[in-house]
Amino acid sequence: MSEQINKNPNTNTPKVDTRKTEINKFSLIFNKLGIYVVVVALIIIGLIVSKGTFFAASNIQSILEAVALIGMVSSGLIFITYSGNMTDMSIPLTMAVGGMMAVQTINFGFPVAILIGILSGALIGLVNGFMIGKFRANPIIWTWGFNLLLSGIVRVIWEGKQLYADKVAKDTEFAQNAANTFFSIARTYIGKYISLMAIVMIVMMVIAWFIHSKTKFGQKLKLIGTNYEVAKFSGINCTKTLVTAYIINGVCASIGGIFFAALRKTASYENGTGYDFSCLTAVLLGGCLLNGGKGSVVGTFGGVLAYGILNNILSWIGLGTYEKYLVQGLVFLFIVWLNTYSNRKLGRA
Amino acid sequence: MKNKKIKISANLINENRSYLFLALILIIGLFVDNFYTMYNISAATGNGSLVIWLGLGFTVCMIAGHMDLTIMYMSTFAALLCLGLHGDQGLPWAVCILIATLAGVLVGCINGFLVTKLKIHSFIATLGMQFVLKGSMYIYTGGEELSIGKDYAFSDVLNDTPVGFLPFSTYFLITTLVVFIVMIVLRYTRFGRNVYMIGGNLETAWLAGIKSDGVTTMAFVISSAACALGGALNGIYSGTAGITMGEKGISPLMIALTATIIGGTAINGGKGSVIWTWVSLVAIALLKAIFKKTEIQVLVIAAILIGCIVYETIALYNRNKTVGTRPNLHKEALKELGKSH
Repeated sequence: MSEQINKNPNTNTPKVDTRKTEINKFSLIFNKLGIYVVVVALIIIGLIVSKGTFFAASNIQSILEAVALIGMVSSGLIFITYSGNMTDMSIPLTMAVGGMMAVQTINFGFPVAILIGILSGALIGLVNGFMIGKFRANPIIWTWGFNLLLSGIVRVIWEGKQLYADKVAKDTEFAQNAANTFFSIARTYIGKYISLMAIVMIVMMVIAWFIHSKTKFGQKLKLIGTNYEVAKFSGINCTKTLVTAYIINGVCASIGGIFFAALRKTASYENGTGYDFSCLTAVLLGGCLLNGGKGSVVGTFGGVLAYGILNNILSWIGLGTYEKYLVQGLVFLFIVWLNTYSNRKLGRA
Repeated sequence: MKNKKIKISANLINENRSYLFLALILIIGLFVDNFYTMYNISAATGNGSLVIWLGLGFTVCMIAGHMDLTIMYMSTFAALLCLGLHGDQGLPWAVCILIATLAGVLVGCINGFLVTKLKIHSFIATLGMQFVLKGSMYIYTGGEELSIGKDYAFSDVLNDTPVGFLPFSTYFLITTLVVFIVMIVLRYTRFGRNVYMIGGNLETAWLAGIKSDGVTTMAFVISSAACALGGALNGIYSGTAGITMGEKGISPLMIALTATIIGGTAINGGKGSVIWTWVSLVAIALLKAIFKKTEIQVLVIAAILIGCIVYETIALYNRNKTVGTRPNLHKEALKELGKSH
């Protein structure tokens, strides 16, 4: 019977397309509202766990302080993930080098030290961007290897020592004042509860949001992340765009590193350990697609908040640092799976 | 004619760079005091054996086109499990090692499931699994270091040099044996060829009828199981196992990655050999015996790694430039023109 129908194209029986066209509602909601659903859910859990003291000013302050560094670095990392280069494994050493250079040049005064710290981060970003943008090196392997090389160079130059700003500074009043200013930037509070670090983080996020969504550069980056070949053949200077993205990332990471060094009062090659993972978690939590071309700074900010609130809740429950690793790993895997799954259901990955 | 010769030699150097690296280290060793002594070489290779297991796992995964970051914590976890079971439950060593290896198989299965069924990128999936393992490891031990106590019998067997004239410990010989077995499996069995094929092009391999999911999972299982076995043996060999086992200033995972790339395994998979990784890891182990300072070790290893990555990247960049053109025809035409003139 069916063979006959197939042989006769003029029969009136219409062909029914059985393929599914409707999109899973859950995927759509998750994809649109994204991380802020999770943030609200986490806040509700936090309110239950902390018995109502979650919104106390001291708790909000501790959350903001804990996520400030991750937020600073994530505001740069979003450009890398967005451009389809997955992640930057050289973030730990970019942070460490930024902090160490700032401490080492503290004798020239506080503003110069900060500037040199940021410039060193930009230089690292330039090298990364040149190798990946120009020669198309494997982004993970290259940045990982470069991280190791930087660690080797830094450890040979400073012989694996830790640097203290007040010891590096000379005995003059000018240098000592600079060192004191350097220490105080991580401990300044504007008003009573809002720390300078949190404000810097939010300002950096706003700047990143502006660059990401309001400039030509952001649009170019989206095309490169979606399809490199198409971007190349439509006349975009891919090398220049990728180098810029990596420089932004290096600058953000080094600012994070300077604040880290100021917070811990020491600068050493171990300063940024673990930040590559936590920042990637925050960026992915924010709904950024690993293959590139999808994601937003607003979402990343939500991801950073969710990461901080999750850690805060785990502390409220009473888990130690070690048990946190387990929970963080499981949450990371679940979020990545949800991200991949919802994008596949929407046909976008 | 002269030009041709140089080309062949450059290719030869690139293909055999792991052997050249080892030769270089051995030559440098001639100028170092007390390098060619029985004790020095057996200690260096024995201490480097843990990383050889990690490199084995990393290379198998990389040939299949994936990355396995869990290897380091897998080996530490297995060592802690092995020593813990022996100390607390009093189980014999064989059972402890078996259980530790089975834990490795389980983690490999989970990795494979995450990568093949949930379709998470292997780098990200194993990054998450790494932290799960780290957390469960801390919960198991409470952050303490475990030791084998006073039961030195098996530890002594592993530390011995069984073949009189060879300066290699039993542990290193077992490691080498397993590496050669894996090499034979990869090179001469159908499964091994399939691993190379899915690394080269996953879709083509699938269209050719290879059960790509199964093969990928198997690659992860081999990797994790090898690391677990190596880690358990390393715990017994060195007598203690802590959270940071094998980490002397530089993460063993980094050394495994370095050796895999120096050996010549392709970053995107489909090409490579376990033997190359083994040779370069032996070279790195001996290099550590030459340069005593950790800082210098890190710098030298990193410089070699960066050199290899830059060379490979630029070679690929130059090859991609000629895509669509026919350099052979162009050269032939030039030759004919030259003859006619």
